[in-house]
Amino acid sequence: MFKTLRVIAFLVGAAMAAMPNTSASAGATLNFSWPVNVGWLNPHLYSPNQMFAQNMVYEPLVRYRADGTLEPWLAQSWEASEDGKTYIFKLRKGVTFSNGEVFDAAAAKANFDAILANRSRHAWLELANQIVSVEAVDSDTLKLTLKDSYYPLLQELALPRPFRFMAPSMFKDGGTKDGIVAPVGTGPWKLQETRLGERDVFVRNDSYWGEKPAYEKIVVKVISDPNTRAIAFETGEIDLIYGVDGPITPDTFERFRQMGSYTTELSAPFETKMLAINTNRGATRDLAVRKAINHAVDKDKMISTVLYDTQLRADTLFAPNVPYADIGLKPYLFDPEEAKRLLEEDGWHAESDRAIREKDGEPLAIELCFPGTDAVAKSMAEIIQGDLRKVGIDVKLTGEEESSIFARQRDGRFGMIFNMTWGAPYDPHAFVSSMRIPSHADYQAQLGLADKPKIDAEISEVLVSTDVKARQELYRDIFTRLHEEAVYLPLTYVTAIAVAKPEIGEIPFGAMSSEIPFDRLKPQGN
Amino acid sequence: MAGFILKRVLLLVPMLFGASLVIFLLLRLGPSDPAMDYLRLSKVPPTPQALEDARQMLGLDQPIFVQYFDWLNNALHLDFGVSFATQRPVLPDLLHYLPATLQLAGVALALTLVISIPLGVWAARYRERWPDQAVRLLAFVGVSMPNFWLGFLLVLLFSVELGWLPSMGRGGISHIVMPAVAISFMSLVINARLLRASMLEVAGQRHVRYARLRGLSERKVERSHILRNAWLPIITAIGMHIGEMLGGTLIIESIFGWPGVGRYAVSAVLNRDYPVIQCFTLMMVVIFVVCNLIVDIVYAVADPRIRLSSEGVK
Repeated sequence: MFKTLRVIAFLVGAAMAAMPNTSASAGATLNFSWPVNVGWLNPHLYSPNQMFAQNMVYEPLVRYRADGTLEPWLAQSWEASEDGKTYIFKLRKGVTFSNGEVFDAAAAKANFDAILANRSRHAWLELANQIVSVEAVDSDTLKLTLKDSYYPLLQELALPRPFRFMAPSMFKDGGTKDGIVAPVGTGPWKLQETRLGERDVFVRNDSYWGEKPAYEKIVVKVISDPNTRAIAFETGEIDLIYGVDGPITPDTFERFRQMGSYTTELSAPFETKMLAINTNRGATRDLAVRKAINHAVDKDKMISTVLYDTQLRADTLFAPNVPYADIGLKPYLFDPEEAKRLLEEDGWHAESDRAIREKDGEPLAIELCFPGTDAVAKSMAEIIQGDLRKVGIDVKLTGEEESSIFARQRDGRFGMIFNMTWGAPYDPHAFVSSMRIPSHADYQAQLGLADKPKIDAEISEVLVSTDVKARQELYRDIFTRLHEEAVYLPLTYVTAIAVAKPEIGEIPFGAMSSEIPFDRLKPQGN
Repeated sequence: MAGFILKRVLLLVPMLFGASLVIFLLLRLGPSDPAMDYLRLSKVPPTPQALEDARQMLGLDQPIFVQYFDWLNNALHLDFGVSFATQRPVLPDLLHYLPATLQLAGVALALTLVISIPLGVWAARYRERWPDQAVRLLAFVGVSMPNFWLGFLLVLLFSVELGWLPSMGRGGISHIVMPAVAISFMSLVINARLLRASMLEVAGQRHVRYARLRGLSERKVERSHILRNAWLPIITAIGMHIGEMLGGTLIIESIFGWPGVGRYAVSAVLNRDYPVIQCFTLMMVVIFVVCNLIVDIVYAVADPRIRLSSEGVK
């Protein structure tokens, strides 16, 4: 018996000794983490390709800036025709892909052709529908012709996908819709290695045309659990935590902030988390109820208790830093008494202070749907439930799987439902554009508004307007209508968080939530 | 013996068929729509047309039993489809992750045996004295503590506070110690208590008393007459522990960033990634029943009464 045990013990030792011993190399290497591998990095496709990584390897013609403006990137300049239907781009000279191929108008056209060969897959993005033809006029001139004048063309060209450029020799079967040979772009990084479930390694592209990154290597370790990520950071397995989708829990971020020994940063708002309130169903058909909801929720308390001040209070659907959105809308301030007054005036009465209000024998009850697997959303929903209960509104919480929430958004089966704007550079144009599509929560929520056709018409108009002033006025009208009709309960402006070791230096934020500016990180001492 | 093994192997066929049916139907009885899940994970807006196309592509427009037999037919040809989330074929990915999981579960199982057997013998030898009480206390703690919590405690102590062991990843010996301990701790203490009980039961039997009367040393009696006969329940327990170890890897792999099938399966469950969930569950069923088959065979080898009774010999 004991002989057997000794044999087992020996085998355990042998199994352990046989394992490879790997350790992160030091030097100009940054260790980062992400929940999944970065994917094949096809620049023209979506999941499982991770946007932050596509953004590292591939570049756009124009780049989106944090202030909402656009700067020349692979295109040095551009010119639009009078009618706004033709754009001429002068491409940057001397740019090569990381395998040495030249980036020129022919390569750019090949990429556009590959994207448009899969147009139906990109139909959600209006630009994909708008492009009629792409022409390489000469080696450094590219001409795009559109169906209509479409002002967000430049914003959509700046997106991390699909309008980015890969070496045409890496296309598979002459295109990219069925896969690629290898991810070769013009960007500051090259994908060197992928180990499924373990890590992806990017190295600096030494032939990069622009300013070269200070780091030589970025190792992206696959860590799916936020707590594991936090511990990996504390134990030195990773050097940086960055992201908008809860890379660590808010309380962990607060703990790191309190420790004072790490760099902790919050970005400017990237997107808005809100509740879409259904104007076409149940008690929320009443404007007074929707306004009362907006007055009754104490967002500051929610942000300080649940989110540990990692997000900012949202007063309007879009943050003022979103293009065309800084129009001075008057916020619905937290004022439970005002909420009660509005409800009383509208005929929703309560027998006592703690009772649920009723109108014509109907109790004031609203269903609030949230993703049941999202602990933060659940806590927020419970605070909203508690606050609305204080003004006599009964909130029934429905926590379901994400796909069920998705289905409810699509067919309007909600009283209130969690929703997000899409962030830069989609906001506001692409987000408002989606308000016209029945499969979106916004469309369903707005369906009960008397002026819904007018709003939709203005959205269609604003997307093709060529006059900036007229465009601003249209946006003002759309945003004002939605605000005054209290279709949304804006909750928070979502920020990106960054936690880093002090030696990483200052942490800049990308202009888009999907962008992690590794190329701008400058370790102290460099 | 050959008849015994053949009979047990043949029994696997209906068992696996039944398991595949249950796995398939349970997933389909859930509230969510696989087509919607597919679109969500593929980042495609769920327009009515997109939903219709997805249903057609995934065969969801067919009656449920047609869907089942299609899936079963493909599974028999080792085609488990493509993951909704990663867009990669499921089986090669699962097989890629499997060695890491088997390594972790194997080391955990070995730890269980190496530690629990001396502990059980020790507790039985010093019955109702402090070593026995200590093992009892350990067992109480072991069965009360969820493995993920133990995992976090180990990380906090050995990685964060002391800095002795890496907190995550697969690498050298140091990487596997904590996840293996976290997975094996409960099985280990249960095993020790089981062995103790079994040894005490055997110790009271006549052949043991007779051995002592023959003047054999206490050590010889313990090894040759008590432990050898107390071994049978442990064989059964090992079969159960294999299931516990594989189940334990589900959460522990996520906590320790261990690149195995457990973590892959957890993210598939969270994503409602049907092809992965189906393939993973079936794979676990196969591993589990094969392990139990091996245990049954070992049991029959170790105890001729079982083998003979199954062959109809009285």
